[in-house]
Amino acid sequence: MSITVTGKIEKKGFGFGTWALVTSEGTTYELKDPPEELRKSLAQVTIEGQIRDDVMTLAMIGPVLEIQSFKILSS
Amino acid sequence: MKKFLLLCLLVLGLGFALFNFKGLANQGEFDSIILDFREDIPTTKISEAIQKIEQKYARQPTLNSVFSVDDNVYVVEGNKKLLKALKRSPLRRKTEYIEPNYIYEHFLVPNDPEYSKQWNFRSINIEQAWDDTKGDGVTVAVIDTGVTQVPDLKLTKFVPGYDFVNDRVDASDDNGHGTHVAGTIAQSTNNGYGVAGIAYEAKIMPLKVLSASGGGTVADIAEAIRFAADNGAGVINMSLGGGGESRLLKEAIDHAYNKGVVIVAAAGNSNQNAAAYPARYPRVISVTATDAAGEKSPYSNYGAGVDIAAPGGSEAGKILQNTIDPSSGQSVFVGFQGTSMASPHVAGVAALIEASGVTEPEEVVKVLKQSVRKVQEDPLNHFGAGHLDAGAAVKLALKGQITFRDFFRWLRDSGYLNPRFWIDGGAVALLPKIVMVIGSYLLAWFLRNYLPFTWSLNSGLILGSSGLFFLQGFYIFDLPQWPFRLMGSSFPELGNVPLGNTALNPIFASILIPFLLIALLAGHKTWKWFAIGSTLGVASCLIVSAAVDPALSVLGMGAIARSFLIVNALLCVGLAYLASKGEKQRV
Repeated sequence: MSITVTGKIEKKGFGFGTWALVTSEGTTYELKDPPEELRKSLAQVTIEGQIRDDVMTLAMIGPVLEIQSFKILSS
Repeated sequence: MKKFLLLCLLVLGLGFALFNFKGLANQGEFDSIILDFREDIPTTKISEAIQKIEQKYARQPTLNSVFSVDDNVYVVEGNKKLLKALKRSPLRRKTEYIEPNYIYEHFLVPNDPEYSKQWNFRSINIEQAWDDTKGDGVTVAVIDTGVTQVPDLKLTKFVPGYDFVNDRVDASDDNGHGTHVAGTIAQSTNNGYGVAGIAYEAKIMPLKVLSASGGGTVADIAEAIRFAADNGAGVINMSLGGGGESRLLKEAIDHAYNKGVVIVAAAGNSNQNAAAYPARYPRVISVTATDAAGEKSPYSNYGAGVDIAAPGGSEAGKILQNTIDPSSGQSVFVGFQGTSMASPHVAGVAALIEASGVTEPEEVVKVLKQSVRKVQEDPLNHFGAGHLDAGAAVKLALKGQITFRDFFRWLRDSGYLNPRFWIDGGAVALLPKIVMVIGSYLLAWFLRNYLPFTWSLNSGLILGSSGLFFLQGFYIFDLPQWPFRLMGSSFPELGNVPLGNTALNPIFASILIPFLLIALLAGHKTWKWFAIGSTLGVASCLIVSAAVDPALSVLGMGAIARSFLIVNALLCVGLAYLASKGEKQRV
């Protein structure tokens, strides 16, 4: 299932920290192995990717989003 | 007769209790001595005496407090040597008593220097639990990012695990999460270094399923669960979650549960009204997180599927353990928060419960949930059954040791009628048999520090004391009945019941069979407990027979027969004690 979501990138403090995309509605997506460009706080990013239902994580903050492409709208 | 029986059991109980009780006087610690001067001597004499002590021992006795003036209670620094010297000195005549000023320590407080920062352990009342057990003999599988044996895990016992991410035996941690979780469960404790862990005498089985970035597949997690169940884990902790329902995972969980493994998982950190997978599965204990004040942590999931609450911390107060810093690979003490941290608290306490003798997952869950500190108003189910309480859980688990409920259930289930066979309900007097079984469990309970309550011990206790006695009244039409009498005999009855006699045969109703069983089975790690259980069972049978019906062939049914039975019973108890002594390890 491929989806496109837009929101801010922030680090969630579970374990040593996990990068997440939080939409304006408040939905949190855990980013699976994000590239270096997305490993920082960003104001608005659009990510196209796939929800990985077969992946579990230590952060447990929301659906796991495997990134296929992304666009940084504002940092 | 009943009184005599109770007296026997009481004497036995007291005997064992006294035998095992070392006495506070022998084990108490003190670094000062109490001098209680007589009230009928003038104050000047007391001053003189105090001066003498100062001159002779170079120590200044002082009033214990302002409230000690009336009673003349003084305290002076000193050890056993000074105590002895003072007691022998002329001072003795001026005092009511001279005694050690014992330091009272109610519970074990570990010497780990950072223990004072572990508010979470006081929240779960861990010190009371440590009085009884530290989890020795139980293996806890940590299904996580792997576990690295950091300095404060050096004294913790490990069993071989597996890295399912990289498919190799070495399951060390490259993230820092799994090592932290393992620390909460079994950080090396009382080692004068770092922090403490809950079940620090338990063994850790490291199973790596999450990669360095903190994610892993359901397939790897399911395999790890099966690995744990097939390799002797008693408890599984999964501080992980997410994804959807998976049949593969559910089957692995059922497999582990059916093998007697207690499975604990984190409820999840998305502040949602339902536990995440795998905590959501019915056979998994789902743990929510609380902060230092005992309130729901802001991130914690709640509501549907939540079983119990444990400390997971918040920004204001985190859970401190030793782990690795993934960027450098170096050991660090760091505070984490999350339901990931709450779950290992429950897994650790589950290990303590198992070490206390309650091992069936269903029973462990019951103990965990019944021993909680309940939350009066919890409309959104933030806490499940309530707050985890390690001390109460261990107490409850130990209390559950003498259960013959299962035995009665088994009797009831076996006692149905059918046109093809018939049961003679009056073949055996029921009450003495039940007393024999209870007696054997009481004996085992007195020796409980040395015994694992396994099926082999239980079957020994039953076969030694009462046997499957209801079988003695079991008939199949048109077939000989002696095989049932044989199968229905306890060991002391083997010499008479199969032959249809009611008087016990002194060869069988003696220490002989227990002795042979222990001699033959002492080397076997499981059957040994059967032999020990049988010995205690025989002891109970002989005591009850001596009290109720001391009929022995050849020896009659008078004082000789009664003495014979009691002497053999005591020999059996002694034999069981000797055979089980030093075998603290749970099998």
